[in-house]
Amino acid sequence: MRRELKVQCELCPKLCVIEPGQSGECRVRINLEGVLRSVVYGFPCSMHIDPVEKKPLFHFLPGSRILSLATVGCNLHCKNCQNWEISQANPEESKAAACPPGKLVQLCKQYECPSLAYTYTDPIVFYEYTYDAAKLARQAGVRNVLVTAGYINERPWRELLEHVDAANIDLKGITDEFYRNICSGTLKPVQEALILAKASGVLVEVTNLIIPTLNDKAEQIGELCRWVRANLGADTPVHFSGFSPRYKMRHLPPTSAATLDSAREIAIGEGLNYVYIGNVRSKAGQNTYCPGCKGLLIERSGYTVLQQRVKDGRCPDCNREIYGVWK
Amino acid sequence: MTRRKFIRKLVGAGSAILAGGLWLAKKAVPRKFVRGAGLGKYPGSLKDLGDIDNQGKWSG
Repeated sequence: MRRELKVQCELCPKLCVIEPGQSGECRVRINLEGVLRSVVYGFPCSMHIDPVEKKPLFHFLPGSRILSLATVGCNLHCKNCQNWEISQANPEESKAAACPPGKLVQLCKQYECPSLAYTYTDPIVFYEYTYDAAKLARQAGVRNVLVTAGYINERPWRELLEHVDAANIDLKGITDEFYRNICSGTLKPVQEALILAKASGVLVEVTNLIIPTLNDKAEQIGELCRWVRANLGADTPVHFSGFSPRYKMRHLPPTSAATLDSAREIAIGEGLNYVYIGNVRSKAGQNTYCPGCKGLLIERSGYTVLQQRVKDGRCPDCNREIYGVWK
Repeated sequence: MTRRKFIRKLVGAGSAILAGGLWLAKKAVPRKFVRGAGLGKYPGSLKDLGDIDNQGKWSG
């Protein structure tokens, strides 16, 4: 009798009703005999040690190494996805390594990584694995970082955030239309997730991938910046990232350096204190400057930190407090 | 058939229809979950962890 039952997954706003033997939209949460199961728990498809700047996180332990992992699957289907080969893959057709949560913590110790990132695809769809690993990691003194689109319901998000130290959360656009047409999602849950993460005391940085013709207009960028400032605060770091033609958007050109520079100017004009540019070389767009005295605080070249002058969380020149986790 | 017998049969049939309706409704409403238990085995193929001490090719 039980195996004939449908299940509903209430993890994310999609609220998939899943038929017996089928999976939800994310491809990795299945209905097995009337019970919801995560097929990727303990099975990462990708694991590497990255610089934390690659997440990107510029205000969290600069220059540190971070053990980074993903399983296949995603609850969004962005037409521009940069990692679509794993995010849109079926687990049945993919390869993964067996690595239970305890082993992740052990690897962090072995490779001297102070933190662990759940990244590349979206940790929301491997929620249980992320949650269990994050809990163990924190007990062992390892910090937890999420790199996510933030498309999750409030209750599971709140529970996960208790074990998270930092998050880079995408704000992919500032209209519901963009989320519906490009990402197969909606805007409001993402905005709510951002606000809740910030209110929970998690260090939050925001990434906006600028796609030519779709979300690159000055008014759209200005509106996004005003929303960040009003809801997350002027000190929230924002990364404008350049798009490369991938997946279902190979017909669009890459984002120009001029567009990214212009987005940075708009954001600074809107009163944001820490604005960065990613995926293109930009001297000013990769350094951290003090919002008070405008002095150079962190000099970077790509993902490498050349100079780190933040001392005890403050500017060494004017003593202004600098938003971040510095030790 | 007496009036009393007819009413008894009517009530019996009504109860059976109600029970059947409830059973169908229960089947139609999905069971709700937030968390899913792990499967313990991977549906795809397994690989070694390999050398992890290098930068990932994926964005993020």
